[in-house]
Amino acid sequence: MNRRIISTRLKPDLFLVSLVLLWCSVAALAQSPGQSANSPTPVSIRGTHLLGFENAKNNANGTLSIEGDALQFQKDGKPTEQVKIASVQDIFLGEQSKQVGGTPMTLGKAAVPFGGGRAISLFAHKKYDTLALEYVDSNGGMHGAIFQLNKGQAEALRNELVAKGARVSESANEPVKQSNAEVPSEGK
Amino acid sequence: MKGSNRVSLLVVAVAVVTTSVAHPRQLSAENAASSSGTSSTAGQWSVQVDKVDPGDVALAPSFQIAIYESLVDELGKTKRFKQVLRDGDRNAGDISDLLILKTSVQKYSAGSETRRAVTTVSGATKLTVRSQLCARDGHIILERTVNGNVRFMGSNLRATHNLARNVAKAIKQSSLPDPSHSASHAAIDSDQVVVVELR
Repeated sequence: MNRRIISTRLKPDLFLVSLVLLWCSVAALAQSPGQSANSPTPVSIRGTHLLGFENAKNNANGTLSIEGDALQFQKDGKPTEQVKIASVQDIFLGEQSKQVGGTPMTLGKAAVPFGGGRAISLFAHKKYDTLALEYVDSNGGMHGAIFQLNKGQAEALRNELVAKGARVSESANEPVKQSNAEVPSEGK
Repeated sequence: MKGSNRVSLLVVAVAVVTTSVAHPRQLSAENAASSSGTSSTAGQWSVQVDKVDPGDVALAPSFQIAIYESLVDELGKTKRFKQVLRDGDRNAGDISDLLILKTSVQKYSAGSETRRAVTTVSGATKLTVRSQLCARDGHIILERTVNGNVRFMGSNLRATHNLARNVAKAIKQSSLPDPSHSASHAAIDSDQVVVVELR
């Protein structure tokens, strides 16, 4: 009998608590997109610095971001390398397919008997976007930098850079896909 | 007693052979060092690296940028030049002994990293460029046709690194005229230009 009384007393409390929780979560969900729409969020993308930035190592993973009027690359725990967006002369997009796993994976594939590693290689590749920049230093010297980003991210970053004042030539608008045809130059 | 004599004889023989083998090598190493020393001190030029000219070849812009950046890096490593300047650098105007490195792409085969990994024998990325070291007035001082390939392991962009290394190696191994001599005698005739293909 007592048990019944307790359970009936608890039920409305639980109901109220769950209602409050539900309201809080809905409020939190509704609030977060509104905040991001009002304040401009800095673009920040994980990527690999293939080459170009002087103080960053080649093939270093890090975060590529736009802070104010500069494009920054920061490897975890290392000082930031940055380039003024106004100094960017051209931006090129590209695509490339790479084998995943690096050297350990390559060695592992080589160790698989009966050519099994080759079969693994057929599926162990991933497509990436490349973002190539041309920019000038304070002396007017031309620099180039290449970043490897996840598929679809390079275009977003380029658009953001263009919106912030980076220059892009018309020829750079089409993403370049690598073909396997051998192309000899004539008349050279 | 006999045994100890044999051992001592063996030791002496080994010592004689070792010294006879080691000495010529040491001498040749000294020669090599002295020759490389003269080549590095002889050239007091500075070099300006021009942007890569793709010519008629449909070379991806990222490859052009990678070749250019790798060339700047590799030429700096050779220590053959006083300064390695970039294309458009305003400081180049103040330097009297300046060479300009022009690179034009002749042949390009894109290749595929996956094909290389699967087949081993196909999918190589191949690049062939013509590199010219020119004086300020446009006279060609050195001309080389250089290849850069990736045949087995590595990404396609590695071909640009190999290419730049080969260009730098070719320039390091060649003898450049003395800057002061060259300044007084304008530049070398085009007949004197030697074209060497590195394969």
